[in-house]
Amino acid sequence: MQASQASADTPAQPLRRRSLWRTLLLFFAVLGPGFVTASAGNDVGGIATYSSAGAQFGYDILWLMIPLAVALVVVQEMSARMGCVTGKGLAALIREGFGVRISVFAMLVLFLINTLITSTEFAGIAAASEHFGISRYIGVPLALVAVFLFVLRFNSKIVERVFVIFSLIYLSYIVSAVLAHPDWHQVVTGTFIPHFEFREAGWLAMVVTVIGTTISPYMQFFLQSQVVEKGSRTEDLTFTRIDVTNGSILAIALAGFMIIANAATIFIANQHGAKLNPQTAMDFAVALKPLAGDAAALIFALGILNAGLFTATVLPLSTSYIVCEALGFEAAIDRRFSEAPVFFMLFAAGLLLGAGFVLIPNLPLLQFILFAQLLQGVLLPFELVLMLIIINRKSVMGPHTNGPLANGIAWTTAIVIGVLSLVYVVGQFIPQLLGA
Amino acid sequence: MAFTEGFISELVGRRVTVNEIPIGKVSDFLVNKPDDVFPRIDGLVIKTSQGPRFAPIESIATIDPHGTVQLTMTPAEPAPPAESALLLIADLLDKQIVDVDGRKVVRINDLEIARAGDALRVVAADVGVAGLLRRLGLKSFGKRFTPAIYRRIPRSMIAWDSVAPIRDANPTQVNLSVTESKLARLHPSELAEIIGDLSAREAAAVVSQLDDETAADAFEHLDAETQRTLIEDIGTERAADIIEEMDADDAADLLSELDEEQQHELLSEMNEYTASELRALVKYAEDSAGGLMTTDYTWIYPHRTAEATIRKIREIAPTSEFIYYLYVVDKQDMLLGVLTLRALLLADPQASIDSVMETDLVTIHPDMASEDVAATIARYDLLAVPVVDQHGKMLGIVTVDDAIDAIMPEEIARKLPKFTAHRRTQYPGASVAG
Repeated sequence: MQASQASADTPAQPLRRRSLWRTLLLFFAVLGPGFVTASAGNDVGGIATYSSAGAQFGYDILWLMIPLAVALVVVQEMSARMGCVTGKGLAALIREGFGVRISVFAMLVLFLINTLITSTEFAGIAAASEHFGISRYIGVPLALVAVFLFVLRFNSKIVERVFVIFSLIYLSYIVSAVLAHPDWHQVVTGTFIPHFEFREAGWLAMVVTVIGTTISPYMQFFLQSQVVEKGSRTEDLTFTRIDVTNGSILAIALAGFMIIANAATIFIANQHGAKLNPQTAMDFAVALKPLAGDAAALIFALGILNAGLFTATVLPLSTSYIVCEALGFEAAIDRRFSEAPVFFMLFAAGLLLGAGFVLIPNLPLLQFILFAQLLQGVLLPFELVLMLIIINRKSVMGPHTNGPLANGIAWTTAIVIGVLSLVYVVGQFIPQLLGA
Repeated sequence: MAFTEGFISELVGRRVTVNEIPIGKVSDFLVNKPDDVFPRIDGLVIKTSQGPRFAPIESIATIDPHGTVQLTMTPAEPAPPAESALLLIADLLDKQIVDVDGRKVVRINDLEIARAGDALRVVAADVGVAGLLRRLGLKSFGKRFTPAIYRRIPRSMIAWDSVAPIRDANPTQVNLSVTESKLARLHPSELAEIIGDLSAREAAAVVSQLDDETAADAFEHLDAETQRTLIEDIGTERAADIIEEMDADDAADLLSELDEEQQHELLSEMNEYTASELRALVKYAEDSAGGLMTTDYTWIYPHRTAEATIRKIREIAPTSEFIYYLYVVDKQDMLLGVLTLRALLLADPQASIDSVMETDLVTIHPDMASEDVAATIARYDLLAVPVVDQHGKMLGIVTVDDAIDAIMPEEIARKLPKFTAHRRTQYPGASVAG
């Protein structure tokens, strides 16, 4: 049988494949916001922050997690609700609600802070690689290549595995915290009795840092994009709310155990005359000793390496997508450069700047990581105010605007964090105000 | 009216005067018939101390792009309610649109309006960096200090006849029915690509504007996950209409991805013939000949003459997917032979089909793996291969394009160039109707 000369009238078209961004979002959407909240709050910056908080201030800082849990649930619920009702991402809503000027400014700030956070992930990678005896000047570029390859040859199976290992380190903190035999009486009083130490050096900074790492501004963008990608609608609100609440409580619980594990080891040892003064992220590995003994450092190094690689992959990618969403540029990792130049330039700049920053000689990594989290805390009120304005517009949310309770809590959160940040920033310039 | 063309971002906020007395500022532009190719601006919304007022376009004495807007009379009417007409700034600026010409989803940074005859019309959307800078108020700054760079910023204007606004899920939004014809201009695979770029809600909004046939063509190019979410968003009834229009093999693939209850609901909404055909196809594994095959092949009877058969083909060809091979079957659907369209045309008009048909047949069984199906098609240089059961009864055919799709590695499929036409940087001014 001879093939006829006629050709088919339409050429064979390849099936449209789902882009990497959507695959990632859907992957997280299936896991539920719980895991995502835990992962976004508990990256390298999260581990460093909660460890520092526990090591420096012991059980007395635990109470902070209770109001933070309430604020986190409310803020996350607002993001999810905006996604369900409008079907649009937060960046798109900011652009459509506030126009070009505010969007460009907000996106610029978001890009800068996220690049800084990316940098903290590489700082974690640098610390881990130095633990294994590899100079950061080799380890960080290697990680950069790994991230690029990972994004270009994306594979959900690998993401899944990385994610599971990543989660294990948090679970190990729960076990380690229990095995360290903390004074549970102190844990309970520390959790339920607020404790202010305005006069203590670094206390206020630590509070803002813990807030910034727990309610990362970028998490709201990411969560809302996920809800939109999943196609959740107003009918799914109840389910989404339960999901978000569970996730926030899980994230807070993990953070709490991390603080307890560090308080029970480093803080208590210092109380008894030891002079443990963590200078690098690796020094916090001590908190895993009750569980892992001599393997603590190894587990800790693997944990932050994993967390660092994972977030360094997700963050620059999601930032580029979000910025392009707001400014209307074509965005897709599977396109050619000429089809989405802005997107690719943002992505490359975010990664290269992020990795390049930690290669500055003599950069104190731990202080740098904590500073980035602090900056997130300072920026959070601005994001919350934008969200609050949008979510209270009837033209956007219809009957699903904020109720008085959500408004009360969210505005209080924004104002309290704003005041704390302001006091901190002013205090930096006029030290005698606080030091007296 | 000195004004000939300009951007709405440069006009908004301008002072409005009546007899040299300032009364307010320009706040929006009203369009009553957004469906026109280049919609006419019917008036201005003016922010006055008494609240927003509507000034019909006829009352404008001058619009000076560098000065003020002068009216012949004080606008007395209150601004019309948002849902009765299209407001350029409230409803379009900063919103997403499909650029039908460049085939992508972009955001409107600015709108260009121009004078054509007596009317002011919307002629183009600015979606580029230049528009962003203008909105930021950096245009004059850019021109003065970095002229070399400023000149290199691409002017990304999309002529309004290529703009398809994406209707918002928000019910207060104006109904822009204009989009239907514009989106249908895209190739189905491009339309699918755009749908894939949109969020679930926006995708459903776009599909709801398409007719069943266009939507079906686009659906054939979507991945299973997107198909599934779309079906949920557009509802069973509409989804069934679209699936009915799809090629049988693609429709069966789609159905096989859904759970049984959903399959049942969709099939019960379709006409009985299509439904029973699809029920048979859904049984086969996706990566087998049965999963790849379509039942939409062209069959003929052996005892007819070539002439009569050509007449018959002419009748059925318009609705058939594949007519290049004609399958000769008896009344029990047993496959007897094959005839190419070419052989049929060259045959003696009076010859009977069974005397000219090819009987040395290449056939496959429905459980053959898709790689083997593709290999068979390649080895015998076929456009399609018939699928038969163990008794030789005709079940369907696998066409070469479906076989390629099934075996093409994902990386290659993804990296295929998009056949993007050169972007139009200018709109044809002549086509602005007066």
